[in-house]
Parts: sequence; C-alpha cells; structure tokens
Amino acid sequence: MSQPDRSKLPISRQPFKGVANRTLEGSEPDWDLIGHVDAPDGAPNVLVVLIDDAGFGNPATFGGPIATPNYTRLAEQGLRYNRFHVTALCSPTRAALLTGRNSHAVGFGSVGEFSTGFPGYTAFVPDDCVPFPRILRDNGYSTAAFGKWHLTPDGEQGPAGPFDRWPVGWGFDHFYGFLGGGSGQWDPCLTENQKIIGTPAGFAAEEDPYYLPDDMADKTIEWLHAIRGQDAKKPFFAYFSTGCSHAPHHVSEEWAAKYKGKFDQGWDELREETFSRQKQLGVIPADAELTPRDEAFPAWEDVPDKLKAYYARQMEVYAGYSENADHNAGRVIDAIEEMGELDNTLVLWIWGDNGASMEGTITGSFNELTMQNGIPLSDEMQLQLAERYGGVEAWGDQMMAPHYSAAWAWAGNTPFKWGKQVGSHLGGTRNPLVVHWPERVSEDGALREHFTHVIDVGPTILDVAGIPMPTHIDGIEQQPMHGATFADSLADGEAPEHHTQQYFETIGNRAMYKDGWWLSMRTARIPWVLTPDALKPYAPGAWNPDDDPTELYYLPDDFSQAIDLAAQHPEKVEELKELFWQEAERYDVLPLMAPLAGFFGMLPPLPDVATYSYRGGVQNVLSGMIPRIYNHSYSISAELMVPPGGAEGVIVAEADHLGGFSLWIDEGKLTHTYSMMGVFVFRQQAEEPLPEGEVTVRMEFAADSAKPATGGQVTLFANDRPIAGGRMEHTVPIRFSGYAGMDIGRDNGGVVDLSYENRKPFPFNGEIRKVDFDIKPLPTGEEKHELHKSVHHGHTAHALTA
Amino acid sequence: MKLHDTIDVLIGGYLSKEAAEEDYDAVRACGAHLQGAVVVSKDLEGNLAVEETDHMVREGAEGLGAVGFAVGLFAPPLLAATAIGAALGAGAGGLLHHKTAGKIGEQAGETIPIGGAGLIVAYSHSEAPKVEPAVNRAVQKAVGEAEGRHVEALKGALKEAQQKMAETES
Repeated sequence: MSQPDRSKLPISRQPFKGVANRTLEGSEPDWDLIGHVDAPDGAPNVLVVLIDDAGFGNPATFGGPIATPNYTRLAEQGLRYNRFHVTALCSPTRAALLTGRNSHAVGFGSVGEFSTGFPGYTAFVPDDCVPFPRILRDNGYSTAAFGKWHLTPDGEQGPAGPFDRWPVGWGFDHFYGFLGGGSGQWDPCLTENQKIIGTPAGFAAEEDPYYLPDDMADKTIEWLHAIRGQDAKKPFFAYFSTGCSHAPHHVSEEWAAKYKGKFDQGWDELREETFSRQKQLGVIPADAELTPRDEAFPAWEDVPDKLKAYYARQMEVYAGYSENADHNAGRVIDAIEEMGELDNTLVLWIWGDNGASMEGTITGSFNELTMQNGIPLSDEMQLQLAERYGGVEAWGDQMMAPHYSAAWAWAGNTPFKWGKQVGSHLGGTRNPLVVHWPERVSEDGALREHFTHVIDVGPTILDVAGIPMPTHIDGIEQQPMHGATFADSLADGEAPEHHTQQYFETIGNRAMYKDGWWLSMRTARIPWVLTPDALKPYAPGAWNPDDDPTELYYLPDDFSQAIDLAAQHPEKVEELKELFWQEAERYDVLPLMAPLAGFFGMLPPLPDVATYSYRGGVQNVLSGMIPRIYNHSYSISAELMVPPGGAEGVIVAEADHLGGFSLWIDEGKLTHTYSMMGVFVFRQQAEEPLPEGEVTVRMEFAADSAKPATGGQVTLFANDRPIAGGRMEHTVPIRFSGYAGMDIGRDNGGVVDLSYENRKPFPFNGEIRKVDFDIKPLPTGEEKHELHKSVHHGHTAHALTA
Repeated sequence: MKLHDTIDVLIGGYLSKEAAEEDYDAVRACGAHLQGAVVVSKDLEGNLAVEETDHMVREGAEGLGAVGFAVGLFAPPLLAATAIGAALGAGAGGLLHHKTAGKIGEQAGETIPIGGAGLIVAYSHSEAPKVEPAVNRAVQKAVGEAEGRHVEALKGALKEAQQKMAETES
C-alpha cells in the first residue's frame, strides 16, 4: 500500500485502483480498500507513565527516600532527564502533555472542574488544538488511557455527556479509570469508555480487597494482550496515568510498613539526606545548593513531641503508596517485555505532574476534603479524627481519605522551593523524566540535562513515529504544537537544546524562562490558604502584578534556584517581565487570576434548575453532578412502595461516611444520616415504622439562613405527616466528596452510615418510583446573589485543589 | 481536704474516644484526689459507652439538669476551629447531670455527637495544678468553680464552664 497523505485527518480514503466491470468478468479487486490505515514503518509502541502529585526528590531514582526499583531499572537502561518541566497543576499538565501545547492555549489554565469565561480557562479544548492521541489513532495506532483523567468539566461527567471532552473524544480507543482529579484507591467510582461503571466488586472485601492501582495494571495488560491478539503489528500508545500519589493516600499496610521509622528524623533532615543522595547519584550538579525552608513550613524541631509520630506516619503511608505505584507501572513494563516488545517501545515515565502537593495544609488531614470545605482543624484535631477512624496506624486504610502535611511535600520537592500550585518555582514545575527505548537509546544510564517541558512530549512522539503534525483535522485548520521534539537527545547527549523559552503560570504564580535565565514572580498567597483575607490583595484594582517581588536565577549555574540575581541584573528582570506579558497574551494566560474570578464577583449565570427527579435505579452520579443542595434549604422526597413485612434499605445516598448523606430505612423506620466531612455526623430517625403500600416520604432541611455551611432543622415526613426531626449544626458548604457517587435505591461504594456497613450496598427492598430533589425555596434578591457567590467560591476552591 | 474547699468542674470535648480516655487515665494517675470523673463516648454506629470513677459527686448531681447548653457553632465563611471543641464540650457538660441523674443512656445520646467524646472531672480547687495539666488532649476545655459541693454550687460551676467554652468559640 502506498503511504497515505497524513497531513489531513482522518486520512482520506484511497481511490479505487482495481477494475469494476458490470460483472466479475474482467474485474480486479483493490485489496488496499479494506483494512485500516497503517502506522508509518518503524513506528514504535509508546507508553507514557504519569505519577500524580509527586516531587523531584521523592523517587530513589532521583535520590529520594522512596524505593522505585522499576523506575531505576528503566533509568539504568535508559536516560534520566533532570531538567524536565510541568505546569504546577494537575489538569494543565495533562492538557499540555496530550496536546503538545501550552495549557492556557487549550483552555486549561486551571483544572477540569472549573470552567470560566476566559479563553485560557474554559476547560474546553479547542477544535483547532486536537490532542495527539487522536493523531496517533488516525495514523494507525491503538490508543488507550488508564487511571486519572481530569480533563472533563464537572458538569459533563454524566450519561448525557457530551462526550467529546471525555477520553474517547481526545482520541483514545479505550479508557478505564476515573474522570475527576482524585480518587479513592480502595473505592473508586470508575468510568469505562463512555459509561460510569461505579465501584468495582470486591470493594472493602476482608480478604484481598479491591485496589485500583492493581486493577489499572491488570486492565492495561489485558488491553495490551487483546490488541496484540488481534493484530500482531499495530503499534500501541498507552497512557498509564496513575492516581498515585494524589490524595487520598490509600495503600495497604504491607507497603506502608516498609517505611516504619524511616521518617522519624523529620522533613528538615529528610531534605538534607535526599540532597546528599542526589549529589551522589549525579542527578543534580555537584555545585548545586539546597534551598532553605520558607517560614510557611514549621521546623521539625518545633513540632510537639507528642505529634511527631502522627506526622511521621503520614509520610510512611505516602512513601508506601508511591512505591506501589512504581510496582504497578513495573508490572505493565514487565508485560510488554514478556510480549517481546520492550525494545521497540518508547517509555516516557514522568514522576509527578506538578511537584508534590502541599494541599494537606501544615497539619495533614484524615480527610483531604476538609481543607477544600474550609474546615480549619488543628493537628491535634486531625489526630483525634484519625483515631476516630481507626488510628494513625489505619492512615491509608479505607476508613480515611488522608493527605500528608505540606512540609512533607516540600521535602519531596528537594532541592527546590515550594511545590504544587507554585508555578514561579521549580518545586512546582520540575519533575523527573526517565526515557527508555533500547532500539534508540544506546547510552544506558546516562543523564540528559536539556531543558525540556511537558509540551515537548507530543512532538517527540510524533517525531519518532514518523507522523507529521496534521494541518487539518475534521476539516479544521490546526494550531501548531508549541513544544519541540527532543528525539535527537535520545541518542545524542550533545544534541542541541530546542526548548529555549517557556512561560509558567498557575493561579497568579508565574515565571519566564529564556536561555537559562528564570524570572520568578510569586504571589504572597500560601497555596493552601483560600481565606478572604488571603485573596483580598488580588482583587481587581488592588493588585498590580508588576509590583510582585521578583527573583532571578541563572539555571545553568544554579540548578536549584538558590542564588537570586535580581539585584545584579535589573535589566534581565525587566526583559523577562516584558517577555512574560507577551507570552501571556499570545497563549491566553490573561487575565491573571482568572481561576479566582468568582471570588471577585465575576460569576457564571445563575442556575435556573431547582428540581431534579431520578426515576428507576439511577446509580453512580458523580460527585460534581449531584443536585447542589449546599448552603440553603432543600428537600428530598421519594415515592415508595413498601413491601409486606416492612421496608428496609437505602432510598438515596451520596458519597460516604467522610462526607455525604443518606435517606434510608432501618427496620421500617425512616432515617436520615448526614456526615459533615466525617467531623460531625448527624442522624434523625422516626420512632415508628412506615406503613406498607404506597408511601411518600420526605426529608426537609430548613436552613437557618442562606450562608455557607448553614445549620438548620431537619424534619422527616411520611405521607406529609412529620415523624422525626433534629438539628444539624453544620452542613457541608462546598462538596461532599472528590469522587464518590450518588445512588438511588442503594449506597454503592463506601457507605454514609456505618451502622449499615455490614449490609452494604443495602438495597431498598421495595420499589422506589421516584426521588425528587427540590432546592427551593431558593433565596431571592441580594441574598440569592450572595449565596450564588459563596457556592461558586467553594466550587473554585475545590477545583484549585483537585 | 477541707470540707468547704472550692470545687472545680472541668469539662473537655474530644473528637475521638481514644483522646478522651487518654486524658481520663491521665487525671486519674496525676496524683490528685478527684471528686469524680466520667468519660463518655459514642462510636461510629451511634453506640454510647461510659466510664467513670467510683467517687462521683452523687449528692451534687441531681440539680444540674437545669443547665442549658445553647451553643452557637458556626462562623462563616469558614468553620471556627474552636467551635468544634465547643460543641463537644457542651455535650460533655451535659453528661455530668445525665449520668448522675441515672439517665445517661437516654440523654447523653443527644449531647455527645457520633464519633465524639466528653470528659468531666470534679476536684478540689487546690488540686488544679495537678489535674489541669493532665488534660492536654481536649479539643476544648473549660473550668468552673463551686463553693462547696452543694447542688446549686456545682450547677453554677458547670454553667460557668459552659459559658467559658462558648466564649472561646466567638
């Protein structure tokens, strides 16, 4: 078959080159008409592995304390890139990775949950920036993504789609994972292709419980075997995007126990130890300096002795969780090797998408969503809540959704300053990359010091596959990719550096890199603080970004950003400042702070829907898609058919015991349970059982006022007669869960009320004809506007930390 | 101990049973003579558990039921951290009455939140230097003072402790 024109996708059908007479007499078939487009000759398989919320100084491969034997194995047979860069936030890095373009330019200046009306922050990838998995697919690759996605807007994560912003719409033949920014590893609510399939069987089994990282690897291997069974030659592109090491930090004790006592020295010493190993390994220059601790992080010696074990345990679990990620990625690599294809597979393994996450606040949390819901808890409170759910030894178990202290994240970003969300510094923007491809890489174990960026991955893959960047896809002229191939550096350590200039911007923290110079412009806001006082300085009219302090570094001589040269080179500062503004305009970075626009009154249109009806057995409504009952009065009513002998089971339940609600029936008695993020749990129960036959039940919450986390009165009704009630002093202001879904007629996954844990999913034993949510009476006038603002602010806060 | 010594009533609120029991054990081991101590907790399924010393102030308890525990708990837009302690402390304060009135199963269930716990300790004021440092895990704690062990005096002490708890919330 002749090589097709790959400049326009989909590739046009070939003209018929045979003969078609009136009958078969004299006719000649053209066998090239059937079959599919072949990839260019020699196009390799490609495996991209992306670790989540991890830092440069985490994996042992780069001097960190976490054993990563598979990562090291590949590095020793391949290449370590020690100046590889990301965007300092989840979705933007993923969007940049998969499109080969700057994140703002493809609508991902912020995360997938948060769409706002500025081009750089829509979370809607433009049609003229089609992601490269689609390019590979249309050029003869099998493509699949496994694990974390985080590129579908919140409001589109349901059966009504639309699906062009789901993984399949980005060019993946197959997807198995979760759409959001984080997921429980024990109890994920999964998506397969275009369907939410819920929490897998085996969840919370006492023997061999379900564990997503294991399942992800299994499913990836299964897919590899399946495609190879069908087609012995078709190359594959597999995107293995594990949710590890993002919170919740879930891993079995078997893994966490490996690190028992390994972090008792604290984060300050850990940084020094890591730094020393990094030098021994040669992954950082011999003259690199260890950057100092910012006062935002406490010194380990100032941590009260009685809490040190609590803090140390947080890091033990994180380390075990991360090592498990290495293990499961290694299983996939082993499978490719067993298939005899590892030599012809380009593996690009990026350890972290935005540096390690500091979103656990200084205390760490038994439930990562406490921070996002604005619940300030002291470390003693956090410790007690951990005790409530099993004790610090259970940190990492199914009963908690933990996140470690920001100070551990800072240690994980050794030798750099800061971490996730801080786009101005390398702690949030520089992560390890290992490249393995025996057919092309002959210099085993070498170090590459080229300045590279996540937007270079796509161009590099197309380059080595021999696939041109198409000018048109679906008839739409494509914007060129912004990244530059670094394929020549695979075989040649002396290859020139192609990526010489790059802007960085995350929630106002920004940097401009050019020819070795790096200008840092960090806002004073601490990433884990979203209080009104912390945001006030960035209000319209109050903030002049050019007044922000600047730091200037020359990275060829200063690997870690330890020596600020701003005072010596004011002209360079001004040059890079100006260049940043040019780049910001060019790539839709403006307006700065757009992700926080809602905090300053720039709000999307008010919702005009106040009632939601669910008929039949609707299940697994993702957490961002549930009726927005937060912060004001609402009711949930259900039309039931109670069977003879009485009713039992769940009518409707959202999320789990760490945040959620359940309207359910216990021995015939209507019950309402509400978990305020696992900190407070409220329960109201009728004393008499429901009658048999047709019954309408209702739960009414009468809010004290329309304000965030309002308290209020709950009343339960049966056939319009009040049968129980009680107060809830606090309600959840923002979001119950980052991933757990809502179900009608059962409580899938983790349950809300632990008293029916041993009966889960506790299906309703009668018939549920309809469940209605009514979020009326909505407040009116100014109150409505204020509430709308607060809800939007909360949504923004969640999005920023997802 | 003098017969008419000032009696302190300390109430503490906790987010876990373990923390409350740790302080309960600590005050019992601190070397002070206690008039009484009780720790009450509610597990995640809502079941109540009670543990008490043998020297509860039985004669003083009956009248404490009149103490009200109105608690305003929320300070928008963020939860006030101290409010969490106040909520738990309110529950603990209720328990002294409920336990000694013999209705603990019925009424403490309304005051101690699911997963939470409360501690009440009554002791001579002169023992405060030993007792108060031993209570170091309470999310919030407060102390009220009573002149003697008379019902009304203890009632006043408990009310005072409650008031202090509420004040630290605001």
